[in-house]
Amino acid sequence: MANRGTNRTRLLWVSLLVTSLFLITLDLRGVSLISSIRNGTQSFLAPIQRVGSNFLSPISNLFEDITNLGRTKSKIDALRAENESLKSQLILNENAVGELEQLKGVLDLAGKARFKVVSARVISKGGTGTFGETIVLDSGTNAGIKRDMTVIAASGLVGVVKSTTATSAVVLLMSDPSFRIGVRVAGSQDMGILSGEGEGKFSLRMLSATGQIKTGDVLLSRGSSGDKPFVPGVPVGKVITVDNATGQLTKQGRVQGFVDLNALGVVSVVIGNIGGNPGDALVPQAPRPAPTVTIFVTPTPTAKE
Amino acid sequence: MTLNRLPLIFGIFFMMFLFQEALLDRIDFFVGGFSLYLAFFMAWIMQDERNSAVTTGFIAGFILDLSPTLEAPFGLWTLVLTGMSYILATNVRAALDSELSPVVMTAVTVFGSSIALILFLLFGTILGQDVGSGAYVTQEIIGNALWALLLSPIYIPVTIALYRGTLTARNR
Repeated sequence: MANRGTNRTRLLWVSLLVTSLFLITLDLRGVSLISSIRNGTQSFLAPIQRVGSNFLSPISNLFEDITNLGRTKSKIDALRAENESLKSQLILNENAVGELEQLKGVLDLAGKARFKVVSARVISKGGTGTFGETIVLDSGTNAGIKRDMTVIAASGLVGVVKSTTATSAVVLLMSDPSFRIGVRVAGSQDMGILSGEGEGKFSLRMLSATGQIKTGDVLLSRGSSGDKPFVPGVPVGKVITVDNATGQLTKQGRVQGFVDLNALGVVSVVIGNIGGNPGDALVPQAPRPAPTVTIFVTPTPTAKE
Repeated sequence: MTLNRLPLIFGIFFMMFLFQEALLDRIDFFVGGFSLYLAFFMAWIMQDERNSAVTTGFIAGFILDLSPTLEAPFGLWTLVLTGMSYILATNVRAALDSELSPVVMTAVTVFGSSIALILFLLFGTILGQDVGSGAYVTQEIIGNALWALLLSPIYIPVTIALYRGTLTARNR
């Protein structure tokens, strides 16, 4: 009797495994029904994610705040009484100011390059189970966003639009392990391929054996045919180490991205490029030291009485 | 397993999926991330009988495959969770006492989640998915295990209560 039960379980198990293999095969063969199911889920999820984003935005960096708690405890204690009545309003205001700052920065960058952009809020991120680096935006095809468009933030490249629905878009972040982008070194114009490695880490491999890189070199996107998926000239990152191992055909290095991909509130999707290739115009400028004003005072002798 | 439990199980796992996608994924956990969905699944399967566990594994995997941010082929989580559910409900469950202690539940949940993530990566790699550097993958898996361990006093009682809520008088 028990044996019959075990056999029945085994039969059910094998049938379900075969069904899941069948689903994988359908997806790998590009059957549109499968991608439609995921798009349908995204359409359904977008409004819920928007509500979740509004609800969680003041506390989404909770753990980061907790790690800094020890250092700021005395300061918090002193200010607590004063801030209590304004606390909830202040949190919302800070969030709005932060998003406005990001929006201003990204619009400055887009304006300098003469990119036509659509700005959108980040309403969700890819989860642990995905092993992918993605974000979800609150705008989609209704706002003119399409698949394979470049996504930028105030400091540079964020990623590329992977899929869209009418009111949302999924963006593959540049740190995703499957992300590849052609880059050129600002100044020398040597070309290479930048690859994401997860968690904000990037590797660079130059295309030509003569291509040179050094620490501190700024990398810009090379651009794609028809500006899809990448518009040219967008700052991507800075070379932080160069691998000088012998036996390599081309130079390799590690890169630090300009954009903090964990702190994205507002981003812009490039929907058109009016100005063509901006060249090196978007290379981030090092902050200039503020001039020190020195005042010389010469005492005027007073007339003796 | 009675068929009338299926819509209820689907509903509970779908709500958990929405909670994970809309709220939990927005939180920056400073070590890796936390998949409440996987931990909840493991704790659920540990209480289930074999036939029901296998079917629940298939349903839970199918729902997880709906995630629009997923890069892997559709069906991969279905395959992994269906496989895991059978192993947990037969081999692991048979090796344990009939009354599960909280410590055992936590241990199986933490290890089960980690093994599910590793299997997902392994099959994903075989199917041509880019999975990132070893350091990144290790950090994600260890981070998930850590949070599954730390938050177990919250989600395990909830899972037990929800599971018992789905049982019919005949199941009990």
